[in-house]
Amino acid sequence: MNSIQSEPIGEGMLIRLAGEVDLSWSADVRRAILDALRQHRAVGVELSAVEYIDSSGIAALVEGFQNARTSGSRFVLVAVSDAVRAVLELARLDRVFPIVADRSALETAQS
Amino acid sequence: MSAGPLASPPPPVAGSARDDARTLAFLADLSQALAVSIDLDRTLSAAVRRIAGFMHSQAASLFLLDANRGMLECRVCVGPVEMTGLRIALGEGIVGRAVVEDECQIVTDAATDPRVWRGGDEQSGFVTRSLLCVPLRTASGPIGALEIINRDDGGVFDADDAEALRLLAAPTALAINNARMAADLVAQQRLRREFELARRMQESLLPAAGGAGFPVTGINLPAFEISGDFYDHFTLPDGRIAFVVGDVSGKGLDAALLMVRAASLLRWAGKDGLAPDVWLARANEELCATSRDGRFVCALVGYCDREARRVHLAGAGFPPVLVDRDGHFEEFLSGGPPLGILVDARFEARDIALDGATLYAYSDGASDVRDAAGRPIGVAGLREFVRRHAALAPEPRLAAILAELRHLKLVDDTTFLVIETPRAGAPEMLFDARIPAEAGCLCDLRAGLRRALDEFGVAADLRDKLVLAVDEACTNIIRHAYGAQSSGTIHLRLCHDAGVLAFELSDDAPPIDPDKVRPKPLGECRAGGLGVAFIDSVMDDWHIEAQPGGRGNRLILHKRLAPRSVT
Repeated sequence: MNSIQSEPIGEGMLIRLAGEVDLSWSADVRRAILDALRQHRAVGVELSAVEYIDSSGIAALVEGFQNARTSGSRFVLVAVSDAVRAVLELARLDRVFPIVADRSALETAQS
Repeated sequence: MSAGPLASPPPPVAGSARDDARTLAFLADLSQALAVSIDLDRTLSAAVRRIAGFMHSQAASLFLLDANRGMLECRVCVGPVEMTGLRIALGEGIVGRAVVEDECQIVTDAATDPRVWRGGDEQSGFVTRSLLCVPLRTASGPIGALEIINRDDGGVFDADDAEALRLLAAPTALAINNARMAADLVAQQRLRREFELARRMQESLLPAAGGAGFPVTGINLPAFEISGDFYDHFTLPDGRIAFVVGDVSGKGLDAALLMVRAASLLRWAGKDGLAPDVWLARANEELCATSRDGRFVCALVGYCDREARRVHLAGAGFPPVLVDRDGHFEEFLSGGPPLGILVDARFEARDIALDGATLYAYSDGASDVRDAAGRPIGVAGLREFVRRHAALAPEPRLAAILAELRHLKLVDDTTFLVIETPRAGAPEMLFDARIPAEAGCLCDLRAGLRRALDEFGVAADLRDKLVLAVDEACTNIIRHAYGAQSSGTIHLRLCHDAGVLAFELSDDAPPIDPDKVRPKPLGECRAGGLGVAFIDSVMDDWHIEAQPGGRGNRLILHKRLAPRSVT
């Protein structure tokens, strides 16, 4: 039940992750994020269905964030689950990423 | 004519009678000036000058009593002879007599009056003819005297003058007394603040309890607000546990400040894991170099292993340690002089095998406690208390012993340190699983571990962090220990022992260099290196050791459970 789903929202792209993000597929997550950033000026990663994330998953998010900053694109985390938030806090990155409550915030942010 | 004061007042001289209304007006003026005074010394000086003028006298002076020394000191002086700072003994001269007798003194012929001290005249050439001196009265007795010398008109002082001066002395005495009480109050408040600060500073120096599974437990009970005693324990990088107990000579704030210094000095000197006698020598040298007021510090320092099988210690003027082997007591004295006295003092290290016994180190305040008859309870009394509560765990045991001591009369700060093998049942195996070292197997391992932690009752937020840390450790084993070239298994075992969770991860990968495994700082927005940082912040300690036989590594992670982490 680990899954990556991409869904266009306006000019941007929403990547919806589900399951437990760990070493076994965090490389796929990373690729999906970087691909989306190559084609869109705004990318959101929806994390409400993520029950677990390890440092390799966090690293994929960090790379997306840095990539967006370099290219002047927008990169946000959407609907962060408690499990993910706990790990972000442990990494002291909870204030680094722009986090929005739900996808509607991503839509309004673009307009 | 040298009868007692006022006993035979001289006949009134024309012009000496003062207009009552003028006197009252001046008195009101003076009282107000004194009452609103901020700088008492300056106000007093002006007041005495005005009194001299009002009384038509050639000179005036104000003496204050130094009760501790039994002396009177001239604090203000107006007139041709400077007497400020002059000290006379209580009872001596007119001023001394006025204070001792708490009575007005009138001298109408200074040349012949035996009460008069003539030192001032002999040195200055000033001729004292007539004197009038009144005590400065307060509710708690005279605090000094006000004296005037020679009437301007050449006449002698009379009873009216005495009455006027007595009136003027009243607000003067009141102002001085108020100023003193205000100063005392400020000093008391400052002292209280300083004591509170010192107490808090001292408390912050005491180490946090080591928790279950830790062999050293300490307790400190100050006899007064602040303590001259201290204790400390800390873990050295090689795993040994270092401990310190100290007792600073003297009491009060300066002893407390020396205690603060001695405590930090002993901790500093013990960081390098020197032999206990060398540790003491180092601290002694430093204390000798910087303390000159004759104060000294009695101390006991040493090390034990985590299981408290052996204790290696050295003492400096410290009472012998008590070892309790199932109710049989032994004493071990490590004789050395207290710290801070002899620069090149030598100390004696002792090695004590505990093997299940309990070691008590105590400051002499513990054996100095007085029984109902006022006699020190001594070591025999202490043994009795120790025996009585031996069945309790260290922390409640110390609290119970201290409660017994407090019940008697505590005369000095009291500190106890207990060293014994942490009590625990056999380690409890909570989880045991072996998985192929592949990323795809981590999910199942996490699920199993999560279940085991849940069954043990670990709170959910801690459980998730522990699972994350173990997962990160596995990820590192897969990526770095095995790498792309080799493959094998990961064996995870989780044990619980005396409140400590021990996670052990064994692999059969090529040996890795533990020094290369370093966390990156958290909060840094950088991919990579995060996993070790997670392990670091979740676990209390961890280390990697090579498995015997040259193949395989063992990673051991410890998490101490706070009592509330287990539900």
